[in-house]
Amino acid sequence: MHTVSTNDTVAGQRSKRPSDWTPVNYDLHDTWFPVSHSRDVSSRPIRRIIHSQPYFLWRENGISQAAEFHPSRLAALRHASSAFTGGSGSYPVIERYGYIWAWYGNPDHADIQLLPHIPFLPLDGNIPGYTQRTVRFDASSALSVENLIDLTHADFLHANTIGDGISESDVVEVEWTSETVTRTRMVTQKSVAPVMRWVGGIRAKYQDFRAVLHIHLRSNVCISYPRFRPGYDVPNLQPFLPVGRHRSRCDVTFNTTAAPSPFRYLMPRINYIIQPQDNSVVRPQNQRYLDESDRRDLHSRFDAPGTRYRYQMEQLAKRQRRGDFSYGTDAEPGRDITTLLGMDG
Amino acid sequence: MADNAWWASALSEAVNNGKPLAVVCNGEELALFRDRQGQAFALEDRCPHRRVPLSLGCVVESGIQCGYHGWTFDGASGACTAIPNLHANERVPARYAARAYSVAERNGFVHVWLGEDEPNESVPAATYLPEGREYTGAATVSIQHEEYLAAMLDGPHCLISFDAVRMTDFFLGDPCLKDNHLVLDRGAVWSTKVLPPQFVVDYPLIVRTSVPVCGGDIRVDLLTEEETPLCTVFIASGANRRGTTSLCWRGFLHRSEGGVAPLRWRAARRAQRPPFRVHSHVDGEALAALLVAPSRDLDRLRDQSLIPVRAAV
Repeated sequence: MHTVSTNDTVAGQRSKRPSDWTPVNYDLHDTWFPVSHSRDVSSRPIRRIIHSQPYFLWRENGISQAAEFHPSRLAALRHASSAFTGGSGSYPVIERYGYIWAWYGNPDHADIQLLPHIPFLPLDGNIPGYTQRTVRFDASSALSVENLIDLTHADFLHANTIGDGISESDVVEVEWTSETVTRTRMVTQKSVAPVMRWVGGIRAKYQDFRAVLHIHLRSNVCISYPRFRPGYDVPNLQPFLPVGRHRSRCDVTFNTTAAPSPFRYLMPRINYIIQPQDNSVVRPQNQRYLDESDRRDLHSRFDAPGTRYRYQMEQLAKRQRRGDFSYGTDAEPGRDITTLLGMDG
Repeated sequence: MADNAWWASALSEAVNNGKPLAVVCNGEELALFRDRQGQAFALEDRCPHRRVPLSLGCVVESGIQCGYHGWTFDGASGACTAIPNLHANERVPARYAARAYSVAERNGFVHVWLGEDEPNESVPAATYLPEGREYTGAATVSIQHEEYLAAMLDGPHCLISFDAVRMTDFFLGDPCLKDNHLVLDRGAVWSTKVLPPQFVVDYPLIVRTSVPVCGGDIRVDLLTEEETPLCTVFIASGANRRGTTSLCWRGFLHRSEGGVAPLRWRAARRAQRPPFRVHSHVDGEALAALLVAPSRDLDRLRDQSLIPVRAAV
């Protein structure tokens, strides 16, 4: 694991000129995608998409199924199955944490050990429906993740919900492996977020805030653990499903069950306010990342988590372009991240 | 980059010191705004940080502030003047900048210099000298810019109309080149007269269109047969995205009515109704029916000067 703090870095990178970042072209294989909330899958098939690849989901005798074709046509079309299902037409599938997880890649490599560990969600998915919502982003999944990892845009785009950036101290650290990037932000004496003040009943003027965001690079699964004091923990899972080069889908879970009412019910719905604000910028942004350009993005030290994310994604993509789909020795996607998230602190 | 020319890209009153104005001018995406002193500026509508349109941001004391992360850019130089939350002892690297364009404001138009060379002095709207009340507007029309210019020569009735006037397609001579513009007269009649145009011995009106060989400044004049000007319209045009054309225009009524105008025209002018209408919607059927005639000269001149036709982004 490598670590760096944004306070350590200097604005701008003048070293060897890297190639332009074209995140819309990432198509990383051999990973589990949380393709749907469990509660959305019944005996009636639904269709989801990963990198333009169709995933039909349904249940047979309560057991989740995933296939390239609608089950009514599966037998007839099985011969046309792709390598993603190894010619069987059916994807490896697991049900955990309230999600249907489907394998994207070589089905022979599907391994339950590669499923991320999400300590704040019950393994059997037994969580109230109000914690789960679906939002859509008008950008590729990588740009959507970059938006989430990004620290300073909230002060401008989401000031009316999350609050301004004024604080006494704001320290950001980034850790990474070949498969994950983790950003930890510690803020002291920050203005209480409007949503926490007006809905959460926090009457203090200032609050401390520690937020850990753990990102699985292949699957865009973002495991977030923000802790507000005074205030509440708002652990959430934001998995950005890469529908295609222009759009991504996010079936989120905000485990606010420990917070008081009405905060616990309203907080999971905050994405309905935040997501259109994000879309207003990522939508025009996305088309400007479609093709490689000579004009490189500029960065400030606040972009350190984002630039690290870009770099790690590019390294992973390079490796896969070479045909290496294995997980590095430093990567344990399924390892216990309770301590990393600061849940036991 | 483009053609080393000034382009009238917006009406002066559309550019303010609150919300930046997004325009596409000759294929270039621009954010126009003013400082508190009223000085107009143009930056590329693209934040160099994360490529978000700067026009989504707002105007602040020191320039334009991106709506995504709050980076601020100076209007004149494009230099990044502020990145939020930097410590007092931190400086923004000097090379951090948005692309800035030279701006000249004249006669109610904000002009932007598109090109790598040093700007010259010849601003298109310099020839537009309004007197009295003006009628203005802006639109994006679903026709390619080159075709818009050609249609302005071949059949301006598809693109603009004058109150109580029927334009004919009888060209009064051939287009002549004047100040890098092709100028063409055509006959016109008052539509209030019963006699159809084909029976009119001498047309009582002239519609004079002036179309640039390079650039987007169009001028349309309604004249009496003695060439007394009744109405002048200056249309600034430029290629927008997907084969559309951006327009903004100003026009005015000359004080000399010439005493020839019919009652309907005079009454409408007294009621201060607009004497002309620039079409926001182009009739595709009428446009398709236009034969290529005087615009052939435009094509020929362009070929000679080897002016590159830019594709809109």
